[in-house]
Amino acid sequence: MKRKIILGVLLLIVVAASIAAWKYFEKSTNYAEKEPEMTISVKELFTAFEQDTATANKRFIDKIVRVSGTVRSFDSSAVVLGEEGDASSVVVGLDERNKQSISSLKEGAAATLQGKFSGYSKASADPEDLLSSLGTTINIDYGGVITKK
Amino acid sequence: MVKKTLIAFVGFVLFAGTAKAQDRYFTKTGKIDFFSEAKLEDIEAKNKTVTAVLDKKSGAIQFEVQMKGFEFEKKLMQEHFNDNYVESNKFPKATFKGTVLNNTAVNYTKDGTYNVKVKGKLMLHGVTKEVEAPGTIKISGGKIDAASTFTIQLSDYNISIPAVVKDKISNTIKIMVDTRLEPLK
Repeated sequence: MKRKIILGVLLLIVVAASIAAWKYFEKSTNYAEKEPEMTISVKELFTAFEQDTATANKRFIDKIVRVSGTVRSFDSSAVVLGEEGDASSVVVGLDERNKQSISSLKEGAAATLQGKFSGYSKASADPEDLLSSLGTTINIDYGGVITKK
Repeated sequence: MVKKTLIAFVGFVLFAGTAKAQDRYFTKTGKIDFFSEAKLEDIEAKNKTVTAVLDKKSGAIQFEVQMKGFEFEKKLMQEHFNDNYVESNKFPKATFKGTVLNNTAVNYTKDGTYNVKVKGKLMLHGVTKEVEAPGTIKISGGKIDAASTFTIQLSDYNISIPAVVKDKISNTIKIMVDTRLEPLK
């Protein structure tokens, strides 16, 4: 009986330690590989934020967002989506694991990206604010390019 | 005469407006990394979607970064950073508003790397503190690379380290800023 209790306790310790170790070493989520919680175009995203910023932020924050639009610029760390002549843009930071996904991108061409919505910034009317001329900026991070149709 | 003055005035206003825009350089894909050497484990994260604007005429410089945009390798670190340390739901952004103190030492029309000193207000975790940091401004082919490495103390920004890991996590955080700025049209 005593032996069984000791064995049981030992087993519990091993299980608990395994869970703790698994939690500790678990890699951050690759959001570009998950099912999107929201699928939207750059244009629709801007409209949502122009109409009601607070509601839009509540709707999107921390969500896995799949967004389609025109590529303004890109490099190995981030992709900027938006329309030519419009200061507003959706900026997608690329997860280190998804860097190679940019090979399909072309400036001026359409693309679909996915990542975790991390926040927004709306141009202020304050002339002292240097960022006031940058339009709305929507940030998506831990991102990647979606190539499959 | 009145007409000429009016035209000259309108011309001046238009010119002043364009001159202002041409003085500004920006990015929305700047990088800010932070690093903390710790007994338990080094902590590091990268943010690749930093917004920054530099006014080359006045030397005014501004940064904005979404705290939730910091990428960690480990999920647990990402969760602790956002929930327990910087409380990113409550304080979603960090901002810096400052000036290049020796802006006149930078020749923006000549390629080269210039050492600069930047001073301004850093807002993090809802606390604003004055910081001064060394940096470089590199001019090459009409583009500006602005970079800086400096340290901050977590305690200055009311970021508390839980007692259990207090001696394992450093209060000093190294921050590395790296931005490529393009003319703001």
